[in-house]
Amino acid sequence: MNLQRIVVIGAGTMGSGIAQWFAQKMCFVELVDNSSEQLQKALHSIHASWDKLVEKEKLSSCQVNQMKKLLEVKHLEQVSKSADLVIEAIIENLEIKKELFHKLDHYFSPQTIISSNTSSFPITLMSEAVSNERKSRFVGLHFFNPATMMKLVEVIKGEKTDSKLCQDLYAWFESKDKKPALCKDSPGFIVNRVARNFYGEPLRIVESDDENKMKEVDKILKEVGGFKMGPFELMDLIGIDVNYSVTCSVWDAYQKEARFAPHKLQKQMVDEKRFGRKSKRGFYKYD
Amino acid sequence: MTNVSFDNILINFGFGLKEEKKEILKQNPEKLIFMDLTCFDPAEFYAEFPQLKGSFAALFCDEEKKIEVHLRDKNQAFLDKMKELGFITLETTIVSCGFIFPRTIVQIINEAYFALEEEVASKEDINRAMKFGVNYPKGPFEWSQGKEKFAMALLNELYQKTQDKRYLAASLLKKAAV
Repeated sequence: MNLQRIVVIGAGTMGSGIAQWFAQKMCFVELVDNSSEQLQKALHSIHASWDKLVEKEKLSSCQVNQMKKLLEVKHLEQVSKSADLVIEAIIENLEIKKELFHKLDHYFSPQTIISSNTSSFPITLMSEAVSNERKSRFVGLHFFNPATMMKLVEVIKGEKTDSKLCQDLYAWFESKDKKPALCKDSPGFIVNRVARNFYGEPLRIVESDDENKMKEVDKILKEVGGFKMGPFELMDLIGIDVNYSVTCSVWDAYQKEARFAPHKLQKQMVDEKRFGRKSKRGFYKYD
Repeated sequence: MTNVSFDNILINFGFGLKEEKKEILKQNPEKLIFMDLTCFDPAEFYAEFPQLKGSFAALFCDEEKKIEVHLRDKNQAFLDKMKELGFITLETTIVSCGFIFPRTIVQIINEAYFALEEEVASKEDINRAMKFGVNYPKGPFEWSQGKEKFAMALLNELYQKTQDKRYLAASLLKKAAV
């Protein structure tokens, strides 16, 4: 497999990060968004990030000049139809995504691999929007934020995705210094499923809105467990509302299986608009 | 199980059944006892045995030997002995069945076994995903390696205590624990 021409759809945080990573791997990248303003913002931010890496002597100015030439921002109708890989990284809305995939299926060459960076929706369900011929080349590629730093890419095989394609993608990412993990099209894939109890169990240990207990739990899990952040400080960073929404979505997808049940404290926090760092009040206070 | 005795103190290490742990306490009413209760609820033991002065969770510790300790009364001699034995103790005031780290980690391990059972991914890819997607220091199967029996015992105890189905173990974990 040789991925040279990449199209990333959606110039938000994830899309920009993914586009930046591919350009750093010397692929030609077309970053697409409906909003010209968003595209310019993303381009500026990627360029600034590269310039900073030159300042820190992590990249040479020659490398960065080359990367800048490799990354272009465009609207969809301006994009090359012969891309090797398209990655969708737009808003998590199933209907909007399906509409986009239908359009992409018609637009791109039959050889183009179409993928989604979704963290919520089944790949097989989204592949309903593309033709039968495309379904074998429709795959999930779930990157983690920030995409330039986090090495994991979950390679998700839908019901009709070609197994060989998944293996080839796995090998390609591995050759580019990512750490791919091949997984079945199952709710939460690997990480968003297995990580749920890193939050759910500490919530059940503290049971109530007791900051001292939360501090203790965070401290023990960092110092004894070796985690970089404790669950409460991490939920505050991610956003308690975001974390609660992912928990509910995985819980629903598993038919309200007890293992995934949200804790009452999560809902209480959201109801009280205590979302974490972004609202200056979550499990902890931020002044 | 191993017992370390000095002065009037007895420290009980290792895995054992609840009855076996309680038997040690019954046989030593005059001693000040500190016990590894990783798979149990220390509150239940404290209520029954006043000579139990503290508990700790060492069954899931790695080569760094960092462990959670709960003390009913400060006891420097116990802490000094643990240090001498190579443990780094972190005191907690929270009395929780399975303490904090073991209780959290067994739930992560159990979910990883459920995912494996459903063939979501291989053991290697699940380990890799958790280490490189959310920066866990170890993958769930690296944590559980050789400790499946302890994980099962703690899940069983949590289920007995709460009757909450979230603590029911994955079949593959049950098999691995045998």
